[in-house]
Amino acid sequence: MGEKKLSWSDVNIGDEAPVTSHKLTRTDLVKYAGASGDFNPMHHDEVAAQAAGQPSVFGHGMFSMGLLASALTDFVGVGNVTRYQVRFARQTWPDEVLSSKIVITGKREEGGQQLVDLSVTLSNGDGEDKLIGEATAAVPG
Amino acid sequence: MADGAASQEDVLKGIIGQPTGKAKVMVERGPVTHFADAVLSTSPIYRNPNAAKAAGFDAIPAPLTWPFAMEFAGKWEEIQPADAPTGSPLMAAMGPLMAKGGLILHGEQEFIYHRPVQVGDVLVSEGKITDAYQKESKGKTMTFIVSETNWSDDKTGEPVVTARFNLIHRS
Repeated sequence: MGEKKLSWSDVNIGDEAPVTSHKLTRTDLVKYAGASGDFNPMHHDEVAAQAAGQPSVFGHGMFSMGLLASALTDFVGVGNVTRYQVRFARQTWPDEVLSSKIVITGKREEGGQQLVDLSVTLSNGDGEDKLIGEATAAVPG
Repeated sequence: MADGAASQEDVLKGIIGQPTGKAKVMVERGPVTHFADAVLSTSPIYRNPNAAKAAGFDAIPAPLTWPFAMEFAGKWEEIQPADAPTGSPLMAAMGPLMAKGGLILHGEQEFIYHRPVQVGDVLVSEGKITDAYQKESKGKTMTFIVSETNWSDDKTGEPVVTARFNLIHRS
């Protein structure tokens, strides 16, 4: 079970996924709030966020993790990820361009499965990391 | 002050191993596809059962971070386990800290997938606190609480996904 994207004989350590970039909007945050049920006003209510000393609303950490997950599954195929972990390094802000960087760091066979390890990061246009993490995916076939 | 610090340490040690809750969720097509839209995935596999079947799935699978959100849409009141614990050890530890101010931060998140979550699944969870500690950093007190939630298939009992949630209070 899993979408076939990578081919075991062709994947190599150091291979990188195509970079995906997205300019964060307030609408993204409202949509994510509605889909996830996270209605912390810091993520959708500009007045409340500024009253709390923030320059504006800021992104849900889990929106960023979800955005990076979309880039990850585009690369390794839906249904193949066996582990996905991130550290939330910095807040994200509307109008920042968030770009993914996904690199294969390992290739191994374990318990009859062909696996690749990956480093995954999401950063803004100034190169500030927002999410730093790692993942493992099975490569079918 | 020293006494206060010691008792906080005892509170943290005391919550390690305590249950954080039990839940049962239904995984439905509408909320899953809506969630895929919200994390800006364009894959047809999250939208169309024929695309999902062509990729080898029995039904539409859920995006990777869905387990963090699925209680919102799928935790129907009438199917919840009667023995679900009330109150949360996480709030017991964080509540008094939050009352004094400071910031709550989501520090880290991890998912281990035993199989993909799919539309039609009925999943049950059991959670517990796996670690709790405090440390000083740059003049701030950082309190870390880690919880682990294990989701399994309600019908077969097979493990589906393990979620690790790392919460930080900084003051």
